[in-house]
Amino acid sequence: MKKTLAIVMVGIRQMLADPVYIMFLIGLPILMTWVMSFLPVEGGMYEMATLGVLVMFVALNIITSAGGYILEEKQNGTWNRILTSSTSYWNIMAGYFIKIFFMAFMQATILLLSSKYLFGAPWNQGYFEMIIVLIVYIFAMTGLGLFLAGFLKSQGQIQAVAMAVVMIGTMLGGVFFPIENPSTVIRVIASISPQSWAANALKEILTVGVSLSSLLTPLIWMGAMGMLLLIGGVVKLQMEG
Amino acid sequence: MAILEVKDLKKAFGSRQAVNGASFSVREGEIFGLLGPNGAGKSTTLSLVCGLLKANAGKILIDGWDIAKDGVKAKNLIGIVPQEPALYPMLSAKANLRFWGTINGLNSDELEKAVNDVLKVVGLEDRAEGKISKFSGGMKRRLNIAAGLIHNPRLLIMDEPTVGIDPQSRNHILETVKNLRNRDITVIYTSHYVEEVEYLCDRVAIMDNGQIISEGTLSELLEQGSEYQELTIKLNSFSENIQSSIQTLPGVEKTFSLDEKLKIITSNAEKILPMAFETIVGNGGIVSEIKIHKPNLESLFLKLTGKALRN
Repeated sequence: MKKTLAIVMVGIRQMLADPVYIMFLIGLPILMTWVMSFLPVEGGMYEMATLGVLVMFVALNIITSAGGYILEEKQNGTWNRILTSSTSYWNIMAGYFIKIFFMAFMQATILLLSSKYLFGAPWNQGYFEMIIVLIVYIFAMTGLGLFLAGFLKSQGQIQAVAMAVVMIGTMLGGVFFPIENPSTVIRVIASISPQSWAANALKEILTVGVSLSSLLTPLIWMGAMGMLLLIGGVVKLQMEG
Repeated sequence: MAILEVKDLKKAFGSRQAVNGASFSVREGEIFGLLGPNGAGKSTTLSLVCGLLKANAGKILIDGWDIAKDGVKAKNLIGIVPQEPALYPMLSAKANLRFWGTINGLNSDELEKAVNDVLKVVGLEDRAEGKISKFSGGMKRRLNIAAGLIHNPRLLIMDEPTVGIDPQSRNHILETVKNLRNRDITVIYTSHYVEEVEYLCDRVAIMDNGQIISEGTLSELLEQGSEYQELTIKLNSFSENIQSSIQTLPGVEKTFSLDEKLKIITSNAEKILPMAFETIVGNGGIVSEIKIHKPNLESLFLKLTGKALRN
């Protein structure tokens, strides 16, 4: 556990020492959230846009940092040095997972709090449900991030794939705007995109006030998807050595 | 007693056999040199010993622990010093060492003492709080060694730790390695700089094409290559023509150039010298220094493989 925590902490310290990363992690999404706060509150458009920003930036952060951080570790040689230490492989991967998960959760929390307390979002319910949905969503995206990290070999590939996954999952998944009479392709994307499931669940919690029991389908789907991708990614990275 | 035993090790990448039946053993407390040209299989062998790669066949025992079956126990005994510094550039020297100590199993009581101790070993006590990204190349290499030593390993594996650094840092590193004997740390030192291996190592294995082609103490090995000598000619104006002309002289086994010096491996330096001199002058060259070396690892390597180490 101590070794896993050391991997978490060194990763977080390394990331927080980079001002560009802080801007990308916090500054830019807060700016977007502020812009969204000028949208009309009626009709759910404001919630859609704000939650869209949240799920999009969390997804972008996770995929780029999971892939980018592991790639950077490989280029620095620290990846191999960690693998040759007496820390077991599963403890090492737990460290990477917790670090990525923690950073994304902090980002989501800061965005939600800034929406409410800085920009006056009219949300007064469902905080517990929201936290659960966010945890499961971030788990799913972290699984996807580590899965992709097993296959992507350069920063260019990571940027391209992150952009594709995020844009397809959020825009075509109907996160920012409702898609009327969707085609089969759009319906399929919306039904598998964790961003779509998470944004819709969060919107329902904030506007309608649904309970966790009515959110079982998105929670189970995102949880199962995250677990499968996580196992796939961890095994792939181990095979690479 | 052997702290490392490697038996009939094989590793292929696709159709390329990188390690092809390598066997050697390293005795406790010695500095063991692994010598070979680029592509000989040294780095792959070390990656297998560290447990980074899985062997296709063969066995690696570290103090009796099989790296394939008891990886964590075996790795606990190893420290590694990769060729390029493997450190976190945005963190301080101390923060880096604390991290590497923790993931190698040191508890908080041991950690501070170990950090201060290894910083002293590599002479960086006064830069403990400095961020690595501000360090010079030589300082990073020294800290890289400290990170390998932090958990006081019994076997330290150093993969060409002096490539591309200034002479002062290089000397510091060589002295640091030499002093590791006093700490009862066994060292595997790979290099293609013969003079480093000759200076540091108690025993040497020569590797080529994925196999150990010779192993023994320096004097044992040099006996095998005693018929070859190395003739070094320093030129004021080196040219490829001079080298290729000398290469054709009878009795010349191999020539190669290094820092405006022409090195000639020959079995009869006295006979070759006047002919080489004449060829150089005939090609417009000016000789500023001539040295005849007794047989060394370079000449032995040539004898065994037909190749020069630094090709």
